[in-house]
Amino acid sequence: MQTEFVPGIKSRPVYGPVTINPHSQRQIFISEGHITQDLLSLYDGCQQGEKTMLAAGVAGDASAGGEVVSLEGLSDYAATLPQSSSFYLAGTEAFMWDTARLLNDAGFINDQIHMLPPVSNERRLFCTHCYTLMEHVTQSPHTCTGCGRELLVRDHFSRIHRAYVGVQINAEDPADLPAEPEELS
Amino acid sequence: MSDDLMEVRVASVTDVAPRIREFRLAPVAEPLPAFSPGAHVVVEMAGADKTYRNAYSLMSDPFNPESYGIAVRLQEESRGGSVYMHTRVKKGDILRITPPANLFAPFWAAKKHILVAGGVGITPFMSYLPEMQRRGADFELHYLFRGTQTGAYRGQLAAELGERFFSYDSDAGELCDVKILLARMTPGTHLYICGPESLIQSVQAEAEARGIPAGFIHYEEFAAPRPGKPFTVKLSGAGQEVLVDEDSSMLEALEAAGVEVENMCRGGVCGRCVTRVLEGTPEHRDEFLSAEEKSRNDCVMPCVSRAVSDSLTLDL
Repeated sequence: MQTEFVPGIKSRPVYGPVTINPHSQRQIFISEGHITQDLLSLYDGCQQGEKTMLAAGVAGDASAGGEVVSLEGLSDYAATLPQSSSFYLAGTEAFMWDTARLLNDAGFINDQIHMLPPVSNERRLFCTHCYTLMEHVTQSPHTCTGCGRELLVRDHFSRIHRAYVGVQINAEDPADLPAEPEELS
Repeated sequence: MSDDLMEVRVASVTDVAPRIREFRLAPVAEPLPAFSPGAHVVVEMAGADKTYRNAYSLMSDPFNPESYGIAVRLQEESRGGSVYMHTRVKKGDILRITPPANLFAPFWAAKKHILVAGGVGITPFMSYLPEMQRRGADFELHYLFRGTQTGAYRGQLAAELGERFFSYDSDAGELCDVKILLARMTPGTHLYICGPESLIQSVQAEAEARGIPAGFIHYEEFAAPRPGKPFTVKLSGAGQEVLVDEDSSMLEALEAAGVEVENMCRGGVCGRCVTRVLEGTPEHRDEFLSAEEKSRNDCVMPCVSRAVSDSLTLDL
């Protein structure tokens, strides 16, 4: 047997359509790597405030189309911004939450950090047994790279770890696995 | 009340400003529960023809809950509660209060805290200050008052806080420009306001115009429910009808009729008393429901809201 997902779990982030806050003095657009079309459309439609496009992690690539910053560089950059700033993030879910954490540490709050729908179904996974973090997880169950357990990938998203929580899929009988892994949404 | 009430003894009564009186409340039997900065209690007052229940912030050091301190401003348009506290309550009296609850806790992750108190709105900050000093938090206190009426503790605060304290006595022509306060906010600075609705609204409007997200502005207003035109509440269960007169809140009228409604803040912010509306149109006056929820008119906060229609049928 397989442990069931809990449907509609509250902690899973919901990514709705993003709108520009017209009152912000600074409008900062941040893309993971190459600028996504959605982010570019938002940028082009933004008429208020001083706007800046940043592409993280594609240093030396002129086609990125923005000012290129590393995640470490973003903290120094954020420290120069006024409180009246809005941030619009595009990329994988893990990238956006990592970026939000850096901005939180700089004193900005989630009210002013707007995430576009993640560009893929990849999840960061946290093993509750050995605390290993795994990236790019797209199927459940997933074999933990730390302890080897078969982990059920839950929809419970931990803001502390910026990751979904994985637990031993069938603790009563760990050898009892589903015939086919489930593709994550 | 929904929560179990505790009995406390009035250990002292002190005038701390022309229209503000401080009450120290000591335990009768069990020690008083600990609380957190910004917490309040609801005091029950059995008047001649009705029972008043008002929320007051705890002013004492949360680290030392041997007794609770509250301060009550005698209101010009008192609905009875503040007059009761000023004229009836004496040292040695027994009062009944709810355990502390907190809807106005500091955001401890902030890099800096700007506290803005209007008149008796200084009270929640009296419990913030000892804890902020212990933690070495960066803060400043802006105290707006009318020296002929309020301004309690200003001498003590000036001495304790030094350069962190800013005093504005409007009766002496000293005015606070909230635009200057907001212009000085940098990322990580959070602003807290306790005072009249007009002060809160002026700060909120200026913050919005400057593009400062609402989440940086924390506020608490324990205004008494404002009066309105009388209406009738019909209870779907018992078929009972309760008249809500001009000066009573819907919650007070229901309680007087023996109808239990869970509640906590009695000021339209906590959401505990939310009740389903089956018929009629509410007049929403709370801060809890979203604009979208209010427009559906299928629930109401009886602690502050009233009715547009002549009657309201509640799922009670």
